[in-house]
Amino acid sequence: MDITSLKSWELREKILKKEISSYEVTEAFLEKIDEVEDEINAFITIDAERALESAKIVDQKIMEGKKVGILAGLPVAIKDNIMTKNLRTTCASKMLEHYVPPYNATVIEKIRIEDGIIIGKANMDEFAMGGSTETSYFGPTKNPRNKSVVAGGSSGGSAAAIAAQEAAFSLGTDTGGSIRQPASYCGVVGVKPTYGLVSRYGVVPMSNSLDQVGVFGKDVKDAYIALKSIAGFDPLDATSSKKYSLEDINFEEISLKGLRIALPKEYDELRVEGDQKIREIFENKLRVFENNGAIIEYVSLPYLKYALETYYLISTAEVSTNLSRFDGIRYGHRALEYNTLDELYINSRTEGFGEETKRRIMMGTYALSQGYKDEHYKKALKIRTLIKDDYDRVFQNFDVILSVTSPILPFPFDSVINSPVDMYKADTYTVPVNLAGLCAISVPMGEVDNLPVGLQITANRFNEKKLFTAAYGYERSAK
Amino acid sequence: MITKEEVRNIAQIAKLKFNDDELESFTEKFSLVLDFVHHINSVDTEGVEPCYGISDENGFFKEYDIDQTLNREEVLKNTTESEYGYFKILKVVE
Amino acid sequence: MSYKTLVGLEIHVELMTERKMFCNCKNEFGAMPNTNVCPVCLGLPGALPVMDKEAVEYAIMAGIAFNCEIDRTIIMDRKSYFYPDLTKGYQISQSDFPLCKGGFLEIDSEEGAKKIRLERIHIEEDTGKQIHTDNGTTLLDFNRSGVPLIEIVTKPDINSAEEARLFLEKLKNTIKYIGVSDVKMEEGSLRCDVNINVIDEENNIKSNISEIKNLNSFKSVVKAIEYEEKRHIELLNSGKNTEKETRRFNELTGETILMRKKFQASDYRYQFEGDLTPIHLSDDWIKQIESSMPELPDQKKKRFIEQYKITEYDASVLTQSKELSIFYEELASLIGDSKLAANWIMTDVLRRLKEEDKEISELNLTAQSLAELLNFVKSGKINNNTAKKVLREMLETNETATSIIEKHGLIQISDEDELERIIDEVISENQQSIEDFKNGKDRALGFLMGQIMKKTKGKANPNTANKILIDKINGN
Ligand SMILES: [Mg+2]
Ligand SMILES: [Zn+2]
Repeated sequence: MDITSLKSWELREKILKKEISSYEVTEAFLEKIDEVEDEINAFITIDAERALESAKIVDQKIMEGKKVGILAGLPVAIKDNIMTKNLRTTCASKMLEHYVPPYNATVIEKIRIEDGIIIGKANMDEFAMGGSTETSYFGPTKNPRNKSVVAGGSSGGSAAAIAAQEAAFSLGTDTGGSIRQPASYCGVVGVKPTYGLVSRYGVVPMSNSLDQVGVFGKDVKDAYIALKSIAGFDPLDATSSKKYSLEDINFEEISLKGLRIALPKEYDELRVEGDQKIREIFENKLRVFENNGAIIEYVSLPYLKYALETYYLISTAEVSTNLSRFDGIRYGHRALEYNTLDELYINSRTEGFGEETKRRIMMGTYALSQGYKDEHYKKALKIRTLIKDDYDRVFQNFDVILSVTSPILPFPFDSVINSPVDMYKADTYTVPVNLAGLCAISVPMGEVDNLPVGLQITANRFNEKKLFTAAYGYERSAK
Repeated sequence: MITKEEVRNIAQIAKLKFNDDELESFTEKFSLVLDFVHHINSVDTEGVEPCYGISDENGFFKEYDIDQTLNREEVLKNTTESEYGYFKILKVVE
Repeated sequence: MSYKTLVGLEIHVELMTERKMFCNCKNEFGAMPNTNVCPVCLGLPGALPVMDKEAVEYAIMAGIAFNCEIDRTIIMDRKSYFYPDLTKGYQISQSDFPLCKGGFLEIDSEEGAKKIRLERIHIEEDTGKQIHTDNGTTLLDFNRSGVPLIEIVTKPDINSAEEARLFLEKLKNTIKYIGVSDVKMEEGSLRCDVNINVIDEENNIKSNISEIKNLNSFKSVVKAIEYEEKRHIELLNSGKNTEKETRRFNELTGETILMRKKFQASDYRYQFEGDLTPIHLSDDWIKQIESSMPELPDQKKKRFIEQYKITEYDASVLTQSKELSIFYEELASLIGDSKLAANWIMTDVLRRLKEEDKEISELNLTAQSLAELLNFVKSGKINNNTAKKVLREMLETNETATSIIEKHGLIQISDEDELERIIDEVISENQQSIEDFKNGKDRALGFLMGQIMKKTKGKANPNTANKILIDKINGN
């Protein structure tokens, strides 16, 4: 039996039935890491010893008949922008190459309470900026499905770790598609929960009003278990929801009958340069929903046309302030040479940050600076309200929105994208979800040229139940 | 269009530095991006409230029973230089 | 020529909350460096702020005390700049939506009561502290980082250094009354920046505003304003003008020196603080705070005049400091005489405070100990002059009035029975002198009184003793 090829919910049952131990499972995943990691590079740091120690403790609990958490001793990979106490956390940046946090993110505390085994820190684009994990200071992650293409990003390591069977679950963060796009590229399931469902305390922000921690799993049920372990109110995160939590779902009872599905017609009008073949698969898969009794209608969200620009302005503006704390004084890279205060800052930051990070800090600084703030940043905040209102209106009559996750296929390394603007357009389907704080999932919907492509399902804020209903109903029927 | 000088000025505010080649290519890309974002200026936002957070819930105050304070060893362990329990940098009085 | 000086003040006041503004670290002065810090106030990657309720409550109290309009939504902003004492590269502050708007504070200026209007009061976090050492290093302590502050901004309604001083005294006193800060300038819990310019009213020319920082005492504020006033007028007189700039006050020379020109001023790039979901404040909560507000100086002054029947002047002096007003009320109630209490504080106590430049709490004197002394006066056991001497000794030695009076035997014997007994003794021992007196030798009476004083060690109430003696001799 290849342990690592099993679904996590299957492994979970086996562990709880004492057919297999957490130690054996953890060992199996660590062996897999040994085997493939040189090529894949899904991890920045692997914490084998402590993982095995923790597995022993969970096994002990099971032996003693104590209550075991929902993760039941399964290994979890953590994106390296999530603080793990006493375990190096780098954000894939030279800036934090040697940073060892003195505290845990709330999601890490939750994973420990739920008996998850932290196996290592997953690779990512530097400070979560990028869509290919190529901006990592620790080298790119390769796509386990085809090693000549990228794994996507920014949570490329977390997605690849699932696809390459190096972890049972993984955590990522999603600011404009950073979970869903790599999930699509690597052929796994990735969930971006509603803003406020999962605590951001201890998660290094890229764009704090858009970021949300989410999960990867082999299938929809795996993703649900992982999300269940980390969701919930956190008094340390003032944007966390007191009112809503992740509802229990009985997967056996799920049906697509009567599910009201919306297709935004603006997506057709936006003329995103992409692969026609992805589009064809998507239209095919719509039939799976229809055949199971779902109702599909076109809708209009007029302000979607401005989502990319709005996203770009808000996210870079927030990036510019979120990354101001990296000044080389209290932690992080400090330049050896400096004679003035300005040199201390400029040299440390210029040496410590990579190109893409610097580019976005620059854009954000510009967007916020005197004379431009009103026509850029403030305008974008207003359009964000309009986009949110658009979605609110659609969700009065519909349960979910369907689209492709990414309009383009996983691309080869170092593929020159001449225009930065064309690069942004690849995020057309994922970005609006973050602007409106919605939840969305990417599930595999097939292959084009032997490369995986994903289907994106979007639901209203705190309507994860509908998200999982649609996703599981689809996954089960599409088999 | 944005000039190299403007880009240099923004870099100074952001505490970053670019050499001439970088500045050149940067300025070019920056201009493309600006053309792109200017698209939003055509949107009529008269009377629209800026989005101050996506949540419909009221914010909340801090709970007092959570102990966050670190011991000093943990506080100083990630810095390059410290002395007498302080973080230390070279004297940089303005 | 006629010039008008316009001064606006920006005052930062540290709030005496139990915890810091966005984390649960202790808000205390003087702890070992970097021992009251956590991921939040150190600005560690990933840490998030959550608003302190007490800080907001204190800021609202200040807003109410200064007659402001209280906003019903708390929206915070990031104010970006780089400085070693600032942990996140931005300060969480308020830009477009200050918690308190408008408001005023009334001062008793030379020309009578004058309202100084406020622009706003907003809430923000404090920074850490830098220590520049002699061996070329800068040391950083972040215990103060994240301590809650209110920033009080006045309109340029202040027209002289003296008015600025009066305003600051009143502000400090008011804040002490509501108890939200200890407002100690020397510990940095009250900090003040001055914005000043001058208008040449005849020629209708304004000088450009100078901002003066680094003011460590009210005296410095006064001196800096006086210096700047002169500098601005001289420049205008010579046909030049000042430049918009930030200046630093040098305490040693009493002069201000250029720090930076305003056009070099940083662009703070204010941005909405998305980590803090706006908090809507209920009217109920504001009302609750309003109704639990302690009495303010002006209210107390009015009450003193009515309740204690003292003069407006006395009431105004007695309420100028919260401690003094409490001292007065205690004293008045202990001795049951509000006027006697007022007289003693207004004269002897205040003179002492002025001489030593002290607060009432710093003297060797409590309302109880002063009441003890004044009760001797009230009951006629010692006279006013003796009491003044005793008070002086009390302040010096910290002994009680009773022990000083006893030690020096200052109590007058006015008890007639006791005096009669002593006088009987003196009479029986000095029959010859009695005879002499009866024979018209007045001097003999003096001798007899001397004997009485000798026996009583000078404590016999002279009037009473004299009367008893004459009565006895005359055989009544
Ligand atoms: Mg301020
Ligand atoms: Zn703290």
